[in-house]
Order: sequence, then C-alpha cells, then structure tokens
Amino acid sequence: MIVFRRPIEGVERPQMPADVVIVGGGPAGMACALRLAQLIDAHNNAHPDAQLSKENIYVLEKAREVGQHCLSGALLDPRAIAELLPDFKKDAPLDAEVIKEAVYFFTEKSKFKFPITPPFLRDHGNYVISLNKFVKWMGSKVEEAGITIFTGFAGSELLYDGDRVTGVRTDDKGVDREGHQKSNFEPGYDLQAKVVVLAEGPRGSLTKQLVQKFDLAKNANPQTYGVGIKELWEVPAGRIAAGEVIYTMGWPLTTREYGGAWIYGSKDNVVSLGFVTGLDYQDPRLDPQRVLQQFKKHPFVVKLLEGGKMIRYGAKSMPYGGWWAIPPVAGDGWMLIGDTAGFLNSARLKGIHLAIKSGMLAAETAFHALIKEDSSAATLGDFQKKVEASWIKEELWKYRNLHQGFEHGMLAGMLHTGLQMITGGRGLRNRYTGVAGYERMKKLSQLPADGGAEAHLLGPAKGDGKLTFDKLTDLYHSGTKHEEDQPAHLVIHDTNVCNARCVKEYGSPCQNFCPANVYEMVDDSSQPNGKRISLNPSNCVHCKTCDIQDPYQIITWVPPEGGGGPNYDGM
Amino acid sequence: MADTIVVVVEQREGKLNRVSWETITAGQAIAAATGWTLEAAVVGAAAAAPEVAAKKVAKVYAIESSKLNPYTPDVFAAALKQFLSSKQPKLVLMPHTYQVRDFVPKLATAMGRTVISDCIGFKHEGGKLLFTRQMFQGKLAADVSFSSDAPWFATFQSGAFRGDKAEAGAGAAPVETVNIDISDSVIRNKPQEVFKEAKQAVDLTQAEVIVAVGRGIKEQKNIEIAKQLAEALGGDLAASRPICDSGWLPMDRQIGSSGQTVAPKLYLALGISGAIQHIVGMKGSRTIIAVNKDSEAPIFEIADYAIVGNLFDIVPPLIEEVRKAKG
Repeated sequence: MIVFRRPIEGVERPQMPADVVIVGGGPAGMACALRLAQLIDAHNNAHPDAQLSKENIYVLEKAREVGQHCLSGALLDPRAIAELLPDFKKDAPLDAEVIKEAVYFFTEKSKFKFPITPPFLRDHGNYVISLNKFVKWMGSKVEEAGITIFTGFAGSELLYDGDRVTGVRTDDKGVDREGHQKSNFEPGYDLQAKVVVLAEGPRGSLTKQLVQKFDLAKNANPQTYGVGIKELWEVPAGRIAAGEVIYTMGWPLTTREYGGAWIYGSKDNVVSLGFVTGLDYQDPRLDPQRVLQQFKKHPFVVKLLEGGKMIRYGAKSMPYGGWWAIPPVAGDGWMLIGDTAGFLNSARLKGIHLAIKSGMLAAETAFHALIKEDSSAATLGDFQKKVEASWIKEELWKYRNLHQGFEHGMLAGMLHTGLQMITGGRGLRNRYTGVAGYERMKKLSQLPADGGAEAHLLGPAKGDGKLTFDKLTDLYHSGTKHEEDQPAHLVIHDTNVCNARCVKEYGSPCQNFCPANVYEMVDDSSQPNGKRISLNPSNCVHCKTCDIQDPYQIITWVPPEGGGGPNYDGM
Repeated sequence: MADTIVVVVEQREGKLNRVSWETITAGQAIAAATGWTLEAAVVGAAAAAPEVAAKKVAKVYAIESSKLNPYTPDVFAAALKQFLSSKQPKLVLMPHTYQVRDFVPKLATAMGRTVISDCIGFKHEGGKLLFTRQMFQGKLAADVSFSSDAPWFATFQSGAFRGDKAEAGAGAAPVETVNIDISDSVIRNKPQEVFKEAKQAVDLTQAEVIVAVGRGIKEQKNIEIAKQLAEALGGDLAASRPICDSGWLPMDRQIGSSGQTVAPKLYLALGISGAIQHIVGMKGSRTIIAVNKDSEAPIFEIADYAIVGNLFDIVPPLIEEVRKAKG
C-alpha cells in the first residue's frame, strides 16, 4: 500500500502573522518581492511618520537554495527586468547577448533553413541566461532589500475563511513513509497573510486547489502545456558561438505532434539544448525524454555535440495555452503571477519577462492593499485591470489563438499561424477554443501495435552513454535528492484505475511521460493484469507532467518535504 | 621550527575508529612528500595514546581536561583551539566523521581559518600541497589548495586511505600530556544519555565484505540465499534501491546516491544492473564481483570479475565452496 502525502491532522500548528506571502521563489515571485520592497522603501522615505514594515513579507521556496528548482532554456527578453532594475546589466548573470538566430525544419537526415526568421523568433537584444543563476541573483537582491526568503519550505495548503484566502500552510517535516511522525517531526506553519501571491510556476499545486474550489477556469480555455526536456552540454570550442540561437521544427516529431527544439550557445562552450513536446500527443507510448535523445541523433546535432559532455539534465512543463487559457488572476486575498497564471508567450517561447512583469504589477496592487488595509477582491481586482492595461496583454493578444491553431496537426497550424500573423492574432475568429491536451490521448486499441510513424518516439530510450542516455542516467545528472522516508507526494486518487484499467487501455503512459522514472509498473500476480503501480517519488524533478498528462486525471502533484527536489545548477 | 602536521584522531572508549587510522596513513604520506614532521593528538582519552605512539609519528599529544568527557562540540573546539594556537602546526588533519563534522567548522571559524573537508587524496606538486575533493556528486574531482595562513584544516573521507597501511614506528613515540583549562562559561551543550536511533542500525561503511542484491533477486524470499552467502563470507548484506523501496530490506542497507557510500575490500553485486545511482555508492570498492544475466549490464563496466549468468545457478554452489574453503 502506498501512503500519500497530506497535511497531518490533529496537531497544533505554529501560527505566524504576515502581510504578504509569496509562494514560489522563481522570477515572478522574486520580482514581486523586490518591487514590493522598492515601493515600501519609497513610501517610507516620503512618509517618515507612517512607516510600513517589510519584516512580515515572506517568500516560500521549496528548494533547499534559491533558484535550484528553476529551469528554462533560457532566453531573457530584458524588457521587464529593465523596468524593475534599470541597472541590471551591471551585475546580472547574463551569459551572452544574442548575436545570431536561425530556424530549421528537420527531416530525419537533412534540414531546411527558414529563409527568414519569423518575427516572433527574432531574438536580437535578448540574452542567453541560466534561469538558475539569474534567479539566484534576483534572490540576493530580494534579501538585500530586507525581505525574508524561506528556502526549504513549500506551500501545502491554502487557508480560507469562507471564500477568502487568509494564508498558507507550509509542509510538514519529519513524516515517514507510512505517514507517521518521526522523532524530528515539525508541523507546517500557518502563515496568516493579508495577501497571498501564488507564484508556483506551471501547474502550481495551490493554484490547482484554488482554481478547483472556485471553478475559476470555467470561462477560460483549458490550459495546455508542453514539457521541456533539457540537457546542458560542454562542447569542444568552435562548435557554436556564445549568443547563437537555433530553433528547430519537424523531425523527430511527425506532423501529429506539437513541439520543437532549442539550441542556445552560452559562454565557455556550454550549450543549452532541449526539446519541448506538446502535452497533447496522441500515442500514450510516446516518451518526451526519448524524443530529446532521438533529436540528438540528427546529423546536425551530432556534429554539434560530438566529443562533448552532458553535464546537467532537467525537465519542466510550460503553459502553452496563451491569453484565453488564463483564469481570473486576482480574488479575495489572492493573486496569481507568472507561469502559474499562464503568462507565457508560446510563439516566442518566452515567459520570464512576463513572469517578472506580472510579479511587479501584483506587487503594486499588494502595496495599495497594505496602505488601504484592505485586501478584498475589490482591491486586489485592480491587478487584473493592470495586467489588461499593460504590455502583457498587448504581447499575448497577438498570439491568443496560436496554439489552438495546431490542434489538427502541424500543417493546419502553420496555416493558422500565417493567417493570425496578418490579422493581429485573430485568424479565422477572435477566440479559438481548445481542449485539454490529455483528452487527445488515444487508447492502445486505436493505435498501430508497431507504433507506425511514431515508432521511433515510443518507449524508453536506451542510450549509448555518450550522445544519448537512458532516463536513469539523465536523471542522475539532475542532482535530484529527497528525504527518502516520507509519504509519496504523487497523490494517485485511485490506484485501482492504474492496475485494472490504465495498464490495458493506455499501457500505463505514466512510465513514459514522466522524465524521471517516478512511475513504474511492477509484476504482481495478485493484480488482474499482473501489474501494479509502484512509485519512486524521490526521483521526482517537480516538472508536473504527470498531473497534467495523465489521461484519467487522477494524479495530483503536491510538494514533498521542503528542500527535496532537483539541483539545477546552471540550468 | 620545521613545519608540522598534526593528525587529530577520534576514539570511542579508548579505541580509534578505522577512519582515524586511515587519516594517520594520509598524514604519513603527506609528511613523506613534504618533509614535514608528523605528530598526532588524542583528545580526552590518554589511554588511546600508546597505540597511536606505536605508529611512525614524531610525537603524540594527549590533550586532557575533565570537561572533555562526555563529548561536546563547545569543549572540543575550545580545547583544540588552545592547543593548536600554542603549537601552530602547518596542517591539521582529521577523519571526516560525524563528530568532526560537528565541531570542526566551529573550531576553524574560531581560529579564522577554513577547512577543506571530505578529501579523497592529496598531491604535492611544485612545492604546493593540493587536496582532492569530489564535486557534482562524485562526477568531478577538484584539486584545492589553501591560500590562507596556517594552520590549515583538512578532513579525509572514509576509505580514502588504507588504515592497515599506517606504518609502525621504530620505537614508541613520546607522549606528551597537554592539560587544557576550559572555563565552564564556554560550555553551552548538555549531553544526555547516548542512544541508538535505529534498533539495529548497520554501518555498512565499516564492512569489509558486502553482498548486495538488486532487482535480479526477483522475490523477497530469495534474499535468503544472498544472506547465506554474506554469512559464509563473514560480510554484510546490502541492496540497491528497488529492494529497499519494496521494503524487502531496511533502508539503512541501501547503497547508492540516496543511500550509503561504501568501499569494502570485496563487493559482490548480485542481480544489480548498475545504474549510475548505484555505482557512485560502491565504485570505490577494492574488488567488485558482479553476477548478472544481462551481459550488457553497466555493472560489468566497473566489475573486476564479471559472471554472466543466473544468480540462482551461481550463488548456491558458491556458498558451498566458501563454506568448504573456510572449513
């Protein structure tokens, strides 16, 4: 029997009052904290007799250290950070300025270069960064500004008073695999906050609770996602220039899957490369980690990587759905910022600048709430208006129908994209609707047994140990570590579905879509199909793919004991 | 005065642990390479001094104070600070044990120095002393040197040197008792009774022979044959992660990146494929014998002896042979 994590009941929890609690120390959360500190400092300078304190503003970050769970390509559009910290170029870790970009269409053996780079993929003026290093830097600014970051603490539940969010409960520490308290048990804190800002990244677990409780997504398109599988390589000198950016479309994907690769040249001969696979593919046997391994076998990539060394691995989902998939972003006591709200431009494959900008706008709203001593929906609703009046909406509006256009495959998608580009994002109608990606997964009985055109994307990658890697070897390079003796944080609401139905209907796709070998079907003769679900939760890289892509929607990802997770140095 | 190295050994009930002997070996090697004088210090257990003095060291200091027992980090740090401040050695070596990890950061900080911790070796190149440490979970080894003033502090990982290679001295080295006066005001810790956390926790890092089982063992009841082999060889039983995850063996027997790191004389891997997560926990073993059905299993890349076959055919006769050989 697998015991799943949930807050321990019947314990007395330490209470802590707070003004603002920001859940998640990524670019959005850090920008929010920093902007709030700036506004309070300015206020305190102007009003010596009405001082506001920064002491009760907290950032919760589940990673052991700031930035260690942050993974992105990454290219930074500096628009937002220049607004937040005009002097950012002085000390921000910018690895290289983009000097050159190219978009290729891959076939198995060959490639075609797009004669012109589509405008949304023109990256001059952007920077190649490591999001991990960049967020560490932002975190140091936040701490210098006098705001406390609680690293190693996750938000496990929202606290409510009726329909009002009144705070956040942090994770319980020292609970064993059976859910019993160990000798080092420490109950999670109840942070009673005036304003809760959720900055949890894609598919946030508190955000999911909130969206479900208030049915916030009822008027939005279902959010759609991709999962980016990334490897960091060190290659021999001369292969790619620092600041060189390459995007590819096509092979190894077929026209039925959405996705593509990025290759960014960073400094010191480090290359960031990765493959984003849309989490709306049809074949449950498809394995996104394998897609990346397959991609690396293309002659163009082989030439780039040969003789090099893979130094880091990781995976993270990203919200693709665009403007129409964003739920209301503010309510009674709460706001949503960054990826957890869906602020990502999937045409430009960029979200960091939107995360920062949304964090700044939320900070302005939170600041007014503190001044007014009112954080009701009426006051925080101002954040919604600020977003709509800002360049966030202006930028996302142009691509509001982009991803939906690809629902019927790549060719139709490119046609829609072209049409949308000349109509300011409208295309055939103002709002294209969409379906959740998991609904597009087909049952095994509807698919060719040999995999057909997708055969090379299905099942586990074997890996040659030099250019390509099996999942466990890749996983090792994510530096993932958790306290082993704790309940499973991948909450499966009904394991009978796994053992009795899924194994037959879909062939247990969890084993394939999880990039970290968390899910495993083990032999068990007492089960109807001879297989039983088994979990390796301590492998989890916190990408959230399982929560998104499971066809029965019975998996809920909740944070494990704070401090555990990947170690994304330089990612 | 010539430069000296002081090895601070760790003892419990007058007996040195294995890593302390290993650290003495390390000290002897550094002394040979640099020409520095090697001395040793025993803290709060003069009874252990003669055994250390029998090794090739110039001198043994028995640091004494009634407050050193029972152990507290405050007293240890204060006592060693007094002792080292007056002796001014060039280099202070310690075993990388839990106890050292507990007090050495405090000691070094109190003296305004840094520690190169958990070293796996040293180099002496062009007059420069370098210490080797593992980085990125053992994927890289970095050579680091001190840029600060002496005394330098370094600790050595268990298994980095061989304790049985510690050279004996020509005669017993002199033992000098150093009495340290510690005021009660520095002691903020109040130790309680010593207790064992787990019922019968095994310390696999001390084992000389380990028989480890992996997925290839198939069922929990089959672990018995591995256990018999371990008993016949006088070794300990260990496992790869899936076995402990299934609850077939307790988690303290898990070897690998999320379990223990071991370096026994003999490591027998039965039905373990050798994922990198397991390998990092045992690659330092002196001799590795692997039994696996799959001739492509990565464990064979690091095994000294590779046996391709079914462990259920191979292990039972092996047990017989070991028993016979042992009479």
